[in-house]
Amino acid sequence: MANESNETVNVTINGVAAAVPRGARIIEAAEQLGIGIAHYCYHPGLSAPAMCRMCLVEVEGAPKLAPACVTPVAEGQVINTESERARAARTGTLEFYLLNHPLDCPICDKSGECKLQDFTHAEGRPHGRSVEPKRVLGLDDFGGDILYQGNRCIMCTRCVRFMREIAGADLLGVVQRGHRSAIDTFFETGLEGSLWAGNIVDICPVGALLSKDFLHKARVWDLDNTPSVCPNCAQGCNVRLDTRDNLVVRIRPRLNPAVNSYWMCDYGRHQYEWLNQPDRVQTPMQRGAEGELVPVGWQEVLPALLARLQQRHGPLVVLGSPMLGNEDNGLLARLAGRLGGGTLRYRSAQAEAEVPCPGFPALARRRELTANGRGLELLGFQRTGTMAGEGGLTDLAGATVIVLGDALEDQPADFAAGVELLVVLGQRPTAAARSAHYLLPVCTCAEQEGTFPNVHGLVQRFWPALQPPPLARPAWQVLSVLLAGLDDGAPVNSAGGAFLRLGELYPEYAGLSYEQLGSRGALINEPVVRPAGKGA
Amino acid sequence: MAYPYRDEREVRILSAHFGDPEARTLAGWRQRGGYEALGQALALSPEQVTEIVKNSALRGRGGAGFPTGLKWSFLRNDGRPHYVLVNSDESEPGAFKDRELCRWTPHQLLEGALINAYAIRAQHVYIYMRGEFFEPAQIVARAIDEAYAAGIAGPDVLGSGVTIDVTLHLGAGAYICGEETALMNSLEGRRGQPRVKPPFPAVFGAFGQPTNINNVETLCTVPHIIRNGADWWRSIGTDKSTGTKLFNMSGHLVRRGNFEFPLGFNMKELIYDVCGGIRDGRSLKAVIPGGSSVPMLAAHELDIPCAYERVATAGSKLGTASMIVMDDRTDIVKQVRRMVEFYAHESCGQCTPCREGTAWLARIMRRIEAGQGTEADLALLVDLGKNMTGTTICVLSDSAAAPVLSSLAKFKDEYLALIGRAAPVAAAV
Amino acid sequence: MAEERTPLQGGNPGWAGETGEYGHLTEADVRGTTYVGKRPPEGTSPGASCSYPYQVGGGRPDAPLFEGPYRERLDKILSRYPNRQGALLPVLALAQEIRGHLSPESMAEVAAALGLAPAYVRGVATFYTMYHKRPVGEHLVQVCTNVACNLCGADEVLRAFLAATGTEPGQISADGQYTVIEAECLGACGFPTAVQVNDRYFENVSPEAVPAILERLAQEAAARSSAAARQGS
Repeated sequence: MANESNETVNVTINGVAAAVPRGARIIEAAEQLGIGIAHYCYHPGLSAPAMCRMCLVEVEGAPKLAPACVTPVAEGQVINTESERARAARTGTLEFYLLNHPLDCPICDKSGECKLQDFTHAEGRPHGRSVEPKRVLGLDDFGGDILYQGNRCIMCTRCVRFMREIAGADLLGVVQRGHRSAIDTFFETGLEGSLWAGNIVDICPVGALLSKDFLHKARVWDLDNTPSVCPNCAQGCNVRLDTRDNLVVRIRPRLNPAVNSYWMCDYGRHQYEWLNQPDRVQTPMQRGAEGELVPVGWQEVLPALLARLQQRHGPLVVLGSPMLGNEDNGLLARLAGRLGGGTLRYRSAQAEAEVPCPGFPALARRRELTANGRGLELLGFQRTGTMAGEGGLTDLAGATVIVLGDALEDQPADFAAGVELLVVLGQRPTAAARSAHYLLPVCTCAEQEGTFPNVHGLVQRFWPALQPPPLARPAWQVLSVLLAGLDDGAPVNSAGGAFLRLGELYPEYAGLSYEQLGSRGALINEPVVRPAGKGA
Repeated sequence: MAYPYRDEREVRILSAHFGDPEARTLAGWRQRGGYEALGQALALSPEQVTEIVKNSALRGRGGAGFPTGLKWSFLRNDGRPHYVLVNSDESEPGAFKDRELCRWTPHQLLEGALINAYAIRAQHVYIYMRGEFFEPAQIVARAIDEAYAAGIAGPDVLGSGVTIDVTLHLGAGAYICGEETALMNSLEGRRGQPRVKPPFPAVFGAFGQPTNINNVETLCTVPHIIRNGADWWRSIGTDKSTGTKLFNMSGHLVRRGNFEFPLGFNMKELIYDVCGGIRDGRSLKAVIPGGSSVPMLAAHELDIPCAYERVATAGSKLGTASMIVMDDRTDIVKQVRRMVEFYAHESCGQCTPCREGTAWLARIMRRIEAGQGTEADLALLVDLGKNMTGTTICVLSDSAAAPVLSSLAKFKDEYLALIGRAAPVAAAV
Repeated sequence: MAEERTPLQGGNPGWAGETGEYGHLTEADVRGTTYVGKRPPEGTSPGASCSYPYQVGGGRPDAPLFEGPYRERLDKILSRYPNRQGALLPVLALAQEIRGHLSPESMAEVAAALGLAPAYVRGVATFYTMYHKRPVGEHLVQVCTNVACNLCGADEVLRAFLAATGTEPGQISADGQYTVIEAECLGACGFPTAVQVNDRYFENVSPEAVPAILERLAQEAAARSSAAARQGS
């Protein structure tokens, strides 16, 4: 549909006259007018073979029904998607789709988001007329996370085209021909080699391609869907977190033409269990008289912590979190500044190399395997430690250390030994975290609102998908209360407010607001070079 | 004439040398006037050659009957590589003319293909022959070698400075590759699935380049038209169906084989006089006049001229003029079932109505044949046939429905007899 | 490839030339074998314009692909197409000529030779019926049972071949010599029943002619193997 010249043609679709871009295909033009045309093989991110024969529409003056997915609009065209012929063709074709379909919706993971269900409910025949035995193909393991349930397959070949055109690896093909056709890999060679194969489950319009990970986990109508940004690398793919019973059960890509199109990588897709950690810091805690951690209320702990911070002697080291948003890390940096400045660091996992998506090169699994490395760098944090996101924390003797988000998993149980003061705003009570003088429960990025700037500086919002533990708070909230105690403005009471605060503190974010970011994000302002490791 | 029978009424142009092994060879073909037409064509401009073919009103012999010269004229002199494809994928049940043309007169085909290539400025001809035709393939390959050795193909065709390469390409067993765009996909090393048109082959054909594709018989007529002129060709046949045509006569005939007649020759005369009528003194029940993809005609519908427009008026199509004649003992249901099974076997599987519909038709037909059918099945067959017509990329789906629909229209009593016979069994199921 | 007429029992010669009014033609005349000359398995290379495979039986599943003369034929095929993918069909057929059928390994080797994805090659190979995904007998007997032949008794001819070879459709006979399958229209409707045995057509085949055809095939096979033995010694 891309049309450089902005030329339009006038068409009438179902009686609605409109100017649509020249060169657009009928299905796209109709979409613009809010008219959906049923389809299986067509996918806006792939080539269109026009073989599912569902999108046949009546074009006035044409002898045959035209496939809307490949027929370009023309000046003066009068298109009818609801004419008797077009409807009859769809109803007739739908019957063929159900001929060999097992109708096993009750045990099918796709049920509820299945196009075969949708269109059959809408326009199919109420009763099938076939009394013939159905073709049985059985289940095939395609390797990796993918199962193929051939009986349900409608041979739309979206998966084959995705692997060829987007994943750049021709690992799937149609084998045999006619009614014996099936999708298959090259014998025992599976899809394991591809980082992108998981997308074929998303684009399969029926329940033929299944995720082993999601298999029989939930009925899709029981899922809550929350728009989010994949936190598992610096690409910032737009995703949807699908949750049930307060657990993330799958991550699926969400369209953003500038970032990830319709796709995401399997690495990001499958890294979600860390959001479901049952083992959480449940309440704020501080050291009691015996040196043991004692649960205390937020009302008590924050004034105590503030007083303790103001009394400290040694240098200040602050560890930011690349898995938390700008709001949290920005206010953390601000706190460091208000406490007289300190060393700002973060640790993050990194991959050996980028893995670009061959068919959509703007998309890549980035080397940086966290969402906010870029944001932390902008805020003046410096990366430390190994590629695995470990180590780098050896010179802390006598220092006051504030840790945000980092679980300190690689650190010993006596991590706080030798440290003047250890404050952990954390999620998991690891041994090192439990050595802290103050251990405060904060939300994960799936439990709060926030923003991540991606590798290209596009700031994108994410939304809360999970309920945090009852006493956990977003880190920005905790930090803004501490800052208020240091006479640094009033506490902010929303993530959006924290983001506006960020704009006041950092020119990169000046003038941006959540409203402006919307669901597609906005670019940060030209970055300012500032001395690393110093708080604002 | 034809091979292996002859008839004095025939007008033998393409088939003049059937059964004459000498005509196969380059020397023999030249003795019989071969490659004169190529020389004549090379002396003209490509446009002039196309104009002659256009004026002859020659219609493609592959089944659709599209005007050949018009098709040639779609290609522009645009500097892109052009291809000529020769469609020798003859697989339509009933058709067996291209095989005979290739095996007896390979140089006739080559000459036509080279003229075609010159007329559309193609530098490469691919002869796509169905893989089963090993014997004709060897003969055509030998002829190509002879033509290269004699400077008729390759660089500098007959000293004209024009380069035309010829490659023989064998298919591998797929009826659908006779569809022009499926043939192109197959030639390119893909699954032989028809392409969505537009773009048409004249713009985006083989290897993405402008391409002209013609049937073997069409190209075999071209040298004769060039040599004798468009008017001569138009003087044979009818206004809308010019020239002669090979009639492929098969089934329950006394004399089977290829017979060459001017288009417009009476079908009844062809069947009863030329082919000697029905074997074993039986009577005729039905004729499929143009290959299995066209509707059948009943015995009383045969007194028509064999011309594209006249057979269409009678409710069928001349197609490839491949007539399958069935006698009164023929089990129509069985034969229709066999045809439908063929289409189910040969469906490429792209379009759902065809992929599922052909197999479904076959299963219903098998059930009816086995005496397990009901009257509701007949209505279902008609409805499915309609849903399979005009809804797919190519016409294989329509072709599969055609024998079912036409046999149900004309021989419904045969279906009903099977249903009546087995009603108790069907009820038990 | 007999130059002389070799009449078969059952009143049916097995090729179209002996019916109708062309009784003077020899089998070589009709098949064009004199004109075509010797074929690659007998030592010459195919012509300049192409390289086409032969369905001749005698493939060895462990034979190396594309070595020696076969490498030359591969190169010739490649020279006739604007890209390597175009060569896929003839190269698959060549691999089948060498090995008798297309195993997964053969498909992978063809894919490597042409720079294509193995799954793609599998998709193409399984589309076409002439590529055998499993081994077949030395003689692949394909009996056309489509409408024009069917009207004239093709079902009986098929049954006769199955009975004479003692096989079920698609099976290899106990002696490894025959696989009999039903074929779709072979394009010889005027000469029913049409039967293709490897790369050769037998036409006007009646059930009575089947034993004689099998006898002839056995004799030819014996002659080939004794010739091969002479050459080997």
